[in-house]
Amino acid sequence: MIRKIRLTSQAIFLLLFLWLFLQTESKGADELGYPVKIFLDADPLIFITTLFASHEWIQSFFLAIFVIVATVILGRVFCGWICPLGTLNNIVGTLQKRKPRKVPLSLHWLKYYILIFLVTASLFSLQLTGIFDPISFLIRSLSLSVYPLISYATKATFDTLFNFNIPLLVDVSEFIYTLGKRLWLPFQQPYFLQSFLLGFLFFIILWLNILEKRFWCKYICPLGALLGVLSRFSLLQRTVSDGCNSCGACTFDCQGNAAPDQKEKWHNTECLACMNCDDLCPQNAVQFGFFRKPQTAPLDLGKRRVLGMILSGMAAVPLVRITGINKQAGTAEPKLIRPPGSLAEKQFLSKCVKCGECMKVCITNGLQPTLLEAGLEGIWSPILVPRIGYCEYRCTLCGQVCPTGAIKKLELPEKEKTKIGLAMIDKGRCLPYAHATPCIVCQEVCPTPQKAIWLEKAKVINKDGKVLNLNQPHVDLDLCIGCGLCEAKCPILGQPAIYVTSIGESRSKDNQLLLS
Amino acid sequence: MNRRDFLKATLAAGTVLAVPGVSGLFSMLEAAEKTDLAVATGPSPASITKAAIDALGGIKAFISRGDVVVVKPNIGWDRLPVYAATTNPEVVATVVALCYEAGAKQVKVFDHSVVDPRRCYKQSGIAAAATASGGVVSFIDDRKFRDMKLPGVALKSWPLYIEAIEADKFINIPIAKTHGLSTLTLGMKNLMGIMGSSRGRIHQRMDGSLVDLAMTVKPTLVILDAVRILTANGPQGGDLSDVRQLNTVVAGWDQVAVDAYGATLFGLKGSSLGFVVAGHKAGLGSMDLAKLRIKKINV
Repeated sequence: MIRKIRLTSQAIFLLLFLWLFLQTESKGADELGYPVKIFLDADPLIFITTLFASHEWIQSFFLAIFVIVATVILGRVFCGWICPLGTLNNIVGTLQKRKPRKVPLSLHWLKYYILIFLVTASLFSLQLTGIFDPISFLIRSLSLSVYPLISYATKATFDTLFNFNIPLLVDVSEFIYTLGKRLWLPFQQPYFLQSFLLGFLFFIILWLNILEKRFWCKYICPLGALLGVLSRFSLLQRTVSDGCNSCGACTFDCQGNAAPDQKEKWHNTECLACMNCDDLCPQNAVQFGFFRKPQTAPLDLGKRRVLGMILSGMAAVPLVRITGINKQAGTAEPKLIRPPGSLAEKQFLSKCVKCGECMKVCITNGLQPTLLEAGLEGIWSPILVPRIGYCEYRCTLCGQVCPTGAIKKLELPEKEKTKIGLAMIDKGRCLPYAHATPCIVCQEVCPTPQKAIWLEKAKVINKDGKVLNLNQPHVDLDLCIGCGLCEAKCPILGQPAIYVTSIGESRSKDNQLLLS
Repeated sequence: MNRRDFLKATLAAGTVLAVPGVSGLFSMLEAAEKTDLAVATGPSPASITKAAIDALGGIKAFISRGDVVVVKPNIGWDRLPVYAATTNPEVVATVVALCYEAGAKQVKVFDHSVVDPRRCYKQSGIAAAATASGGVVSFIDDRKFRDMKLPGVALKSWPLYIEAIEADKFINIPIAKTHGLSTLTLGMKNLMGIMGSSRGRIHQRMDGSLVDLAMTVKPTLVILDAVRILTANGPQGGDLSDVRQLNTVVAGWDQVAVDAYGATLFGLKGSSLGFVVAGHKAGLGSMDLAKLRIKKINV
């Protein structure tokens, strides 16, 4: 009975999660209309580490506090009843052959070490939580890899059917395809750098369930570890009456591998509150209830190892920051064109949890995950790659979906004036300069009200010695906001004749060109 | 019916189906013969659109019962209508409604936007307005481009949107704006919205390419929206001080003539626009406004 209620709860939250995921896409207005980031808002690990790393309190995290309170009362219900990644792990776990491993790996300590490492690092301003946080991990994997994969596979399938051109079949397949486009397919095929790596990691995590069910939840998940610590003294505790004859029926269906058959040595920090042991007990000896004296084994992580992880967390801070990227001529990597509204790089990195929401919602697909352009600290954080997609002039969506405020939510007038970089022209490649050929595409598409590209009328001699009157483009450095639309549309494909770098970005004091 | 033969056919017999009564037919034919260009001014975009079309003989002179019609506004940019970067939504909606009045089977509305189409369709107000009039508004589908042979003034072939090519009637509804290369963007330039592939390259031989395109598409009717015009920083605009409210709609069946007249709205002559001259020379139409019968209406 409890099992059915729990499965229903898991299904509802997974569907809610997926539905909000699908809503993280523009329909033409500048609002999405749904609270698409609530699962991130409700994530206590992101809340705490953001607070530590950036010393800022974020309003939308009241849900995380709610989860903390719920955990203190009920234990790890978030893991067992809500977490969408946990539910996916459950689903994949059902593929496991019925015969479970005789000896579980019992690596529970691992996730606590990861948690200690992450929290320590965050106390010293390094925010690496996003790499391991389950909600970040899930949204990032789905956004940047799995969803594009599904979209690509679907389009390829229906295009193939379409091209077979068998009358009745095409009608049916096109009907389904149209329905799909309306219900679950993206407006356009997304493409992401790192998509293979991210997908690979995601499928490995899912595959681990075959090795052992909920492998991630038991052994890796730092959020699970945090909630485990919080549930250590939760009000809801399990008791086993004397009726227990140690039959062991509860052992294999324990979602957290919390040693439910051990009566007094039960690990309440590992309990996902699935209550399978209560459901299954043939003697009806297991009970969950409030204000009972807990019958639990202590959470023993070993003082030396805990200290080791704390030291590791501290050492990681300088270790990731002594990369040469941080001492380039000037102050910033030229390719590091951050989304509009991004905080100055240091603050940005202390807040970005690499969830991929901004990249998912980016209307042009221009926001892409880094690999090492921002150092290991900034892995999978967003940069604009104008050759893939420019920054849409009147769009503010990335700032709206950012859960931690690494990208500020900008009002439209402010967004329209926010510089994310500057465009420069390569006269050696530009048609009117180098090849006596007319072209003004960059000027045509430039979206600022007073165009940031001005045209100089110039007399140019072509190869036949004929004098032509051509317009040669120049960038107005005051007006250019670095949106990259010119670069995206420049007909000099491959290596464009006009391109954006991060210099001049509003968020930086130092990365400037003009004396102002 | 092939659109290229449409005018001839209409004048011969085509409208018989659409127009009840012989006297109606004659009055309409007279009007169509009399007027080359209709210029309507007035505060209501819907009324002047209708008035301009009426002055050319009414919508039934152009649209027959059962026609599949493509209405091609400029939905190229993510701008609100007041910025005059995209066709006035009321003008578009009025034309869509008129086509249905004339018995059109279906009126399709689309454009190959330059920036994100979702935003362009929504922010321009055109998707909502055209849909409200019964128009079938759709985004460009990459599958529906097909390589087409072109006359070869500048282009021998280019992928064009088959829905635009295969429609019974094609109504071009551009908005009058400035443009960095072609000086102005009017009717002929608006046809670039049915082109696929990398359109940036077109700018290298713009005038000839536009003539090729115009000779291939041959719109049944061109309605130039000059309710608001963009006088600088076109074609995308964004500054209200560059917008002038002219409350004008120019309609005609001669693409070159409409564009030549459009130039005068900016104080220019048709002969100063490369594509107008090229179109005139290629026999696409006439830029000689003095020889045209222009009817001006104020509503």
